[in-house]
Amino acid sequence: MTNPEAYRQKCIKIGLVSVTAAIIANFCPAIYFYITYGVMPPFSDLIKLWTVAAFTFGVSWFIQPTTFFSLMGVSGTYIGWVTGNCADIRCPAITMAQKVAGYEAGTPEGDVMATMGITASTFTSICIITFFAVAGGELINQLPPFIKAGFKYILPAVFGAVYTQLCTKHLKVGFLTIILAVILTYLFKTAKVPNWILNIAIILGGVLIARIDFKSKQKKA
Amino acid sequence: MDLKQAINSPGLWIASSLMIIVILTQCAIYLRAAIKEADNLGIAPERWKAGFRSACLTSIGPSLSPVIIMMALIAVLGTPTTWMRMNDIGAARTELAMVTLAAGVAGVDPQNPAAFGLKGFSYALWGMALNNLGWMFFTLILTHRMSDVVAKLNTKYDPAWIKYLTAGATIGLFAFLLSPRLVMPFKASNWCAAVVSAIVMMIVSKVFANQQRLQELALGISMIAGMYVTVVIFG
Repeated sequence: MTNPEAYRQKCIKIGLVSVTAAIIANFCPAIYFYITYGVMPPFSDLIKLWTVAAFTFGVSWFIQPTTFFSLMGVSGTYIGWVTGNCADIRCPAITMAQKVAGYEAGTPEGDVMATMGITASTFTSICIITFFAVAGGELINQLPPFIKAGFKYILPAVFGAVYTQLCTKHLKVGFLTIILAVILTYLFKTAKVPNWILNIAIILGGVLIARIDFKSKQKKA
Repeated sequence: MDLKQAINSPGLWIASSLMIIVILTQCAIYLRAAIKEADNLGIAPERWKAGFRSACLTSIGPSLSPVIIMMALIAVLGTPTTWMRMNDIGAARTELAMVTLAAGVAGVDPQNPAAFGLKGFSYALWGMALNNLGWMFFTLILTHRMSDVVAKLNTKYDPAWIKYLTAGATIGLFAFLLSPRLVMPFKASNWCAAVVSAIVMMIVSKVFANQQRLQELALGISMIAGMYVTVVIFG
């Protein structure tokens, strides 16, 4: 028996409860520190801290969960915005989980694989980060310089490979979108347009190109 | 009270571990639900297990990249706080930026432990908590609404188009993440890393399509090829 709607509702319920729990856990160290050491910023400074955070990251708070939703799905979004690193760890893991299992994003099967991919990546990254936090960075320092030199290319390499993977079924859309993205990035950054506007513009560009491709394929069919 | 002792105290370890417990519990519950749903949808266990395994392997490389910046954070914030914040929302650079901003509000220097003190640390704790609250709050109020919109779109419009729309939006998202590495500043080495890993990904996906085990490692292999071909060429 399949009932995607029941599964969706279940995911929403788990998400609402678990994210609320995460919000509470988020403040525990600060509250514990106040109770034990009696040190806490006065209320006026808390407002200042919040304002500084909102000015610096406020747009990301809203834009990021919205723009990643298409790939991450319901449960992926609830997990991803508690565990973080959505772009460089979670999304690549989701893409690979879907690819290897052979299902596309945006389908019920793809959503299930997204959930599995994101939980797998969370278990893995927690193990790695815990290991290095406890064992210390000495191990990293011991690595040969050649290995360490590669670390600075991790992001272009990850994004290059994930992008290709996402485009295998939509080569034309992928090719045109990256050209558009490079041009827009150059123009917007030169004109000092805020990053979040660039984010929306490139995604809209991708959707528009997908629409044109979809229509032209429909005509051919 | 010694700052170093306070920021590495057992009590703070316990307070910080609550977030990790929430995350692990959340993931375990979702995983259980997903396995059950996979069964309902008729996804063969071998298929989802292969996907799960590949996601684990894929996450190893990118999880290592914030380790270096993590060491810088441990020096300022101590181990338990850094451990918690590296495992929850906010990339390492975001946390580092927030600590610096919070120190600015407190009027202390994060680079100077004597001046940073308990006060600077408490500002950093509150600053990071308030910043992280932003993402979680919006996730809490937006996700089910976005999901409702997608569900409605699927009934109102052609699902084939909605799938295309999702693909277009995802491709756009990754184009946005990739393009700043390629231009502004223009770096030939970054182009090399991106193009080599893209080509290797293409080869592994197309030429070796039948090699299931190789597919699971595709992203890891592509990344390593992209990174180290670039090191050989550009240093």
